[in-house]
Amino acid sequence: MPEARREAFMARIRRGEKIEAHDWMPDDYRLLLLRLIHMHAVSEIMGAYPEKEWVPKAPTLRRKMSLMAKVQDEIGHGQLLLRVAEDLAAPLGRDRMELMDDVITGRVKFHNVFHMEAPTWADAGIIGWLVDGAAIITQTALLDCSYAPYARVLKRICAEESFHMQHGESIILSLAEGEPWQREMLQEALNRWWEAILFFFGPPVVTDAARRMMEYRIRSRTNEELRQKFLTRYVPRIRAVGLEIPDSALRFDEEAGLWRYTEPDWERWSRVVRENIGPKSQERIALRRMAHQDQAWVREALVRARTAAVV
Amino acid sequence: MAMTQVEKDQVYERARHTSYDVYEIFVQASDLDPHVHVGSLLAPSPEWALQLARENFLRRADAINIWAVRRSDVHATPDDPDWFAREFDRKYRDVSGYADNARRWKRFKAQAMNIDDVIADVRKE
Ligand SMILES: [Fe+2]
Ligand SMILES: [Fe+2]
Repeated sequence: MPEARREAFMARIRRGEKIEAHDWMPDDYRLLLLRLIHMHAVSEIMGAYPEKEWVPKAPTLRRKMSLMAKVQDEIGHGQLLLRVAEDLAAPLGRDRMELMDDVITGRVKFHNVFHMEAPTWADAGIIGWLVDGAAIITQTALLDCSYAPYARVLKRICAEESFHMQHGESIILSLAEGEPWQREMLQEALNRWWEAILFFFGPPVVTDAARRMMEYRIRSRTNEELRQKFLTRYVPRIRAVGLEIPDSALRFDEEAGLWRYTEPDWERWSRVVRENIGPKSQERIALRRMAHQDQAWVREALVRARTAAVV
Repeated sequence: MAMTQVEKDQVYERARHTSYDVYEIFVQASDLDPHVHVGSLLAPSPEWALQLARENFLRRADAINIWAVRRSDVHATPDDPDWFAREFDRKYRDVSGYADNARRWKRFKAQAMNIDDVIADVRKE
């Protein structure tokens, strides 16, 4: 019987049907989705930290306003995604508090790029331009996800990301149009971020989990396909603004129709993500702990206020 | 007066089991639009649900009204495609069922009408 149920589910997936939160689904599908969306949600929230550091230091009032808007969007994305994750986690007896506890205990990972420092304004620009650019590629690739609640939220997120795209480009264009020291600052920021951005898409091997996600039509593209799309889109633009990509091996192999590049240090970056040992990992997790645990009494008081009002 | 870590831990232990309700959020963009479902959020009360809905869903879009409905108060149809089954052809209810009118009017050297023309005409001064 469970096999027949699973077969019926797979038939729905193959027909291109969308799955809803209350539909029956194999545990494997639920867990793969939950892991993906949980990490996505937490990465949106942790991704706001490197940028929020620049809100008080932004060079003009307009930049401050737009950066603040962007940080707010990222936290908003986290909120929307957490709701999707919660509905998946509910049958497993896990709620939002636990999903957020996981950040502090290290049970959930967040993207490598958000463990890094953003020492100059040009880093804020590179994050907006290339980190968001990379994230936009991975997120648009999920728009056709078989899990409808995720696909719906991604649609809203991608609409806002179109602003992030322009916002990032605007910052780097100002620097590229600027004085030599500004272009130098931009170049140095690119040097700092390049390897991390290549790693962001994940290793080229199609893991067993990735293969299953493709069978379930949770995702349809491999890590390497997405990295290639990113390179095709961004390498010419990076060069057009006069920046040099810090990889002498980078070239487009016409015959294979593929970009060749020096591979990031997979092992080192995986450890950063797994063990939270990047330059800013612990500091940002501590900020999250402060928001989550130290403010818990506020959440409790709000619920108590309502209960008191009803009685 | 700052709390000690022990006090903080006690407060957290008590507070960590408080859970918010799920609210479904509906936004009305203008007087002439119906409320449209945009998503859900967690909130400690209906009032907070409305505040958070504005923060979550209206950072850019304009709106004139928001509904927050506790999810447990939403009644939905069963997950049964038969519930929406169409027993027979319903073209007779639709414009598409009368596509031949245009051709037939031609014989009388006149044109078929459509509702958009009528609206435009009535609006014209
Ligand atoms: Fe985002
Ligand atoms: Fe973004």
